[in-house]
Amino acid sequence: MDCERFDRLVLDLLYEELDELTDASAKRHVEQCSRCRGILAGLRATREVGSLPLVDPPVGLELSILEAERRAREQLPLRQRLGRGVSVLAGYAMRPQLAMAALLLLAIGSSLIFFRARPGDRGSMLVTERGVPESENDSVAVLPAANRAKADDAHGPPTGDTRAEPKKEQASGSRPAAAPVAEAEQGESPGDSAFQAALSALKNGRYKEAREQFESVATRGGPEAASAAFHAAEAARSEQGCAEAARLFDQVPFQYPGTPAGYDATFQAAACYESLGDVEKARRNYQALLDEPNYGARARSALTQLERSADPVAVASRKAKAAKGAAAKTLGDDNIGAGEAASPPAEQKAAEPPPNTIQQAPATKQ
Amino acid sequence: MAAAPGDATDETLMVRYQRGDRTAFATLVRRHHRPLYNFVLRQLRKPQAAEDLTQEIFLRVVENASEFKHEARFSTWVYTIARNLCIDHLRKAVHRRHPSLDQPLGPGDEQSALGELVADARPAGDAERTAASSQMMTIVTQLLDTMPDEQREVFLLREVANLPFREIAVVTGVAENTVKSRMRYALDRLRTALCDFEEYARALR
Repeated sequence: MDCERFDRLVLDLLYEELDELTDASAKRHVEQCSRCRGILAGLRATREVGSLPLVDPPVGLELSILEAERRAREQLPLRQRLGRGVSVLAGYAMRPQLAMAALLLLAIGSSLIFFRARPGDRGSMLVTERGVPESENDSVAVLPAANRAKADDAHGPPTGDTRAEPKKEQASGSRPAAAPVAEAEQGESPGDSAFQAALSALKNGRYKEAREQFESVATRGGPEAASAAFHAAEAARSEQGCAEAARLFDQVPFQYPGTPAGYDATFQAAACYESLGDVEKARRNYQALLDEPNYGARARSALTQLERSADPVAVASRKAKAAKGAAAKTLGDDNIGAGEAASPPAEQKAAEPPPNTIQQAPATKQ
Repeated sequence: MAAAPGDATDETLMVRYQRGDRTAFATLVRRHHRPLYNFVLRQLRKPQAAEDLTQEIFLRVVENASEFKHEARFSTWVYTIARNLCIDHLRKAVHRRHPSLDQPLGPGDEQSALGELVADARPAGDAERTAASSQMMTIVTQLLDTMPDEQREVFLLREVANLPFREIAVVTGVAENTVKSRMRYALDRLRTALCDFEEYARALR
């Protein structure tokens, strides 16, 4: 430290306001420099001799201040008293115990909101086109009378309130391709009468008509095109068996990639190929679904089943049965009740996944 | 567990008072009313006015308690209030042309009374030494009265209120270096006035 810096710091040194290092440095300089030592000694002597002793305040000043404070508090404006009250409450609110309690309540409250029962937890319910439970979806409208009657038959009386029909149109119009099986359960947008008619035909066993109508809807495009293509393949399976249906199911994922209808169609195609004894194609289709979140488990299970039953003898037997079934089909519907003609549909049914699992898939996709 | 009021910092006590703890305010009064009274007394030079103004300072604290922030230093805040009240008082006194400010120092006025107060506050010693101390105190008091206001203010805030230079800069609203310069001038004046006294020479040795 030099004398110039000492001059700047001498008052801090005198009143002991320097940090430890600078204080030590200044003191070392003072020991070595007589000029600075003289300055510091002069200032210290001045402080010592000329220090001002504190005068005692008048007796009673402290009490009179406290009395004045009491009076002043009583006369504080309401706003300030409220502000003080808020400050007191805020002080209590900032205590850790209360903060923890608030956090706990928040956690419980949020868990009630976020961990409600999922749609899949319920045994039977009505779902919308997108798989949202009807009772939780404000945008779901009343089903057309005919469909509602069907739904009532299947699931009991609806519990939801009557809701405005335009809302439903808006909701379905703004959504992409829908889950096909859910649509079959729920009925469709009343605006698309062709699709409704096709569904009706499918349910009533008029497969040929249903297939034509579904293909017409799919050709026209729109939000129901993917579902329509899927249902067309379903109708073809019911009408002509898996040989024709597998080809149609196979086309759906290529025409509508990434849609629930596409995934369902891939699964159905695999099931068809499996029932036809075409293990390779069945395997390829199942494998295509392994990485899909909502289909992977089912596909894996079906694949395991496929590999287990894919021994040469079983395959040959299945192929023979499938050939016989196809031949019987071509002979006409008159022979359908006789002999082995009944076996292909039974096999086909066995190859299909249970209806419930298919219905749940779109819901979990949501 | 909360600290006892006597151990708590001024800022903690003030926050407690904001929440309605009146004992915290009583502790603050007990801790600060003496230096505040002395600061005001040296500025106004009138004991009665100093007493009233000291009470007024604490009333301002009560009225503005909700505005106090815990991050602020209580001493800085309360001495800012004290300084402003002193300035207001002195300004009004100038308008009233109070005799004690216009007339030169002399026996019988309040400044002499202040000198006596100060002399009485010195520890008692032998008669000769007491007389010398009393004389020195009178000189110091007179020197303070003739000191420029800004130097006296800084001197009192440092010596009476015991505020560090950094806080004095905040209270007075000037740079810290300026505060130190004013303090240095005030001390140099005092040294010049005291250097003839034997006691000073002894202290110097």
